Amino acid sequence: MTQDARVREFVQAFEALRAEVEKVIVGHREIITHVLVGMFAGGHVLLEGVPGLGKTLLIKTLADGLDLRFARIQFTPDLMPADIIGTNMIVEDAEGRKHVQFQAGPIFANILLADEINRATPKTQSALLEGMQEGAVTVGGVSRPLPAPFFVLATQNPIEMEGTYPLPEAQLDRFIFKLRVRYPALEELNAIIDRTTQARQVTVERVMTGPAVLAFRELVREVPIASHVRDLASTIVMATHPEWEHAPEVTRRYIRYGASPRGAQALVLGGKVLALAEGRYNVSVEDLKRLAVPALRHRIILNFEGEAEAVDVDRLIGEIVESAEALVAQGREPFLR
Amino acid sequence: MTDTDRDRATLQALVERVAREVRWRRAEHGLLRGLFWGAVAAVVALALRTLLGPWATVAAVGAVGAGALVGAVVGLARRVPSADAARLADRAWGLQDRVATALEWAGRPERPRLADALLADAAARVAALDRRRVVRRLLPREVRWLPVPALAGLALLLAPPVPLPRLPDVLTAPDGQEAPARIAEGLMEQQARPLARDPLRRPPVEEREFGQRPGTPTTAAPGDLAAVFKDTALAAQRPDFNSFLKKGDERLRLLEQVDRLPDLQSDFTASQYKVVFRKARALTGGLRPDQISPEKLRELLEELQRLGRRSGGGWGSDVAEGMEALESGQQDRALEAMERALDKLRAMEEAQRSGKGLRGGRERDRTAGRDGSRGGASGEEPDFGEGEGLLPGKGRNPNPKGEASQRLRATPYDAGLEGEMRQGRKEAYDTNLTGRAGRMPSRLAYLGVLGQYRKMMEDAITREQIPRDYHEQIREYFQALDER
Repeated sequence: MTQDARVREFVQAFEALRAEVEKVIVGHREIITHVLVGMFAGGHVLLEGVPGLGKTLLIKTLADGLDLRFARIQFTPDLMPADIIGTNMIVEDAEGRKHVQFQAGPIFANILLADEINRATPKTQSALLEGMQEGAVTVGGVSRPLPAPFFVLATQNPIEMEGTYPLPEAQLDRFIFKLRVRYPALEELNAIIDRTTQARQVTVERVMTGPAVLAFRELVREVPIASHVRDLASTIVMATHPEWEHAPEVTRRYIRYGASPRGAQALVLGGKVLALAEGRYNVSVEDLKRLAVPALRHRIILNFEGEAEAVDVDRLIGEIVESAEALVAQGREPFLR
Repeated sequence: MTDTDRDRATLQALVERVAREVRWRRAEHGLLRGLFWGAVAAVVALALRTLLGPWATVAAVGAVGAGALVGAVVGLARRVPSADAARLADRAWGLQDRVATALEWAGRPERPRLADALLADAAARVAALDRRRVVRRLLPREVRWLPVPALAGLALLLAPPVPLPRLPDVLTAPDGQEAPARIAEGLMEQQARPLARDPLRRPPVEEREFGQRPGTPTTAAPGDLAAVFKDTALAAQRPDFNSFLKKGDERLRLLEQVDRLPDLQSDFTASQYKVVFRKARALTGGLRPDQISPEKLRELLEELQRLGRRSGGGWGSDVAEGMEALESGQQDRALEAMERALDKLRAMEEAQRSGKGLRGGRERDRTAGRDGSRGGASGEEPDFGEGEGLLPGKGRNPNPKGEASQRLRATPYDAGLEGEMRQGRKEAYDTNLTGRAGRMPSRLAYLGVLGQYRKMMEDAITREQIPRDYHEQIREYFQALDER
């Protein structure tokens, strides 16, 4: 198969999957795209939004469109790590002999929906850490690999804060993107009403298999990136660090801790998927700009001044990206800028 | 030639075209800059037409032409990096970094298969591009001022030659010998001229009044208070820092005897004694008594006599004895009499100085003891009575602590306290210190510590897992403190 054919196949699969999700989800095209980008980049995605915006439905629909094993965990304060990972149980065989058998938890799935992840205690939340990063969990000293592809889609509610435990930074950093699901526009709301209040069944087709997802992930990593685009990604991430000597003024003023190297990885990998999804063979500066906000917003910790002034992290990232671009172009003469 | 090579050549051609365009734009830019500076040089040449004659016009035209040529050549000759040109092409035609990425990866031996596809894709897009100029023209800042030197040059060209100011004749001296001599003379005069006095610098040692005269002993006699101001051997030797320190220690020891300090306000160097003493030293320095001029000695004695009459000093008899000895030709006796008179003059001046101001401490007590006025009302000091001290209500003085001094009256330590309702998020009442007390360090520390606590609060919130519900409340509290 030629490279052109491989890329065309990816574009078709991407569009098909998006189309299946859009059969159910009205609007949120950018969110759907970013969820798919996160999946093909091999990362996990955190969706944040008030109740009723279709976060869980989006993920369920996506799972329906994929020929993969799906599991859903509703996080509650009394959820225990063993409820997620699984546990060793004593079982009796047909001959009456007892032995210890591992009872796999819901994490052993391809697509894991961690609904309202911030309602579980930090101990339970951390049960996901190893699985998200290593693709394996350790139970009773035995490491058990998770099925590939393994993809966590978590949701959280930003306004109901009572009885919740905000995700620690270490866990937030493991999500490639954090997407904010916003309220639909008027036309979208009308479409939602029409679609959900009539006797019309929508059937979502399975358009992609697990091996196909893995193959596409391989293809994504082959996408070339120019050194100046890579430099821009690094500069954007470095510009989120207030202690960096070239950090812009907004960073020094409002940010306490900047993004980790995973932020730069997310930018580049996401950029590669986005480029392929558009039928392009290379990552462009525009790709990085489009992904900067979802890739960095959960990796930046505001300082007191930033929180006290209710600084919008998304806008802050926009300013940082502009500063980083100016910084990269600074060394070039006016004729070449 | 493979497809890859052909695609690469297509991209290279585009990049070279863009680079060439950049160079031409640079040449334009450099030409205009060179034109401006050449025009400025031309104006200068035309202004010197009197001096340069017909060559001025040639120089002006040459400067303009050379400036423009050099600017253009420099702009044209500078290399354009191909990566930069590729990026420029990408941006100009909206190629989304295809050309730059393809060229960069095409040069790598180990490249993914997608890189070849990228190269083909980029080449196909480049082949379909329209041929338009993509590098915008950038005018140098100087261009807007170009008409100024141009018009000035034109005016100078049309107008009669500008007369030059007359140069000093040292430059136009007919003979080559005289001019350097005059210059050297001028320089020497300049060097001989005293330097302007810098108010921030101390005058050099030579300018001080207490320079040592010949014959003056270089060390002060122990207990000689005048040594504090006298001097000090600095005039006789180079004033290096060590000698200064050494002399300083000696003076500090003397200064510790506070009860014997003379009046520091009087200028010892300008005292009558010193004047006469200097004259006496100048007269007797290095000479035996029989070698001294009797006229000079008489002048000194007369001076002493005059001083004695004016100040009522008791050396009149000594002066008279000296005059008599001088009349009889006994110069050594006359000198002795003059020294006695000088000693008396000095003693009188010291007595005057010690009585002027810095009397205090033990000396004052001694004086009081001598007068037998302890416990008695002297008119100057309050009387507290024996053993009653300063306690209020004790003693016979109705105002035991005395009146406030002038300084205290002028700058009273008033402290006011006023209250105000705070218009913040919540209703509150503040008490504020006013007057000088409000600016005292304790008040400032409060304002400073507020910022520190804000920072600590921020740390506590982010580190110590304070429940999120309380964050807003805590921040509101600090916000309220700030809304003053």
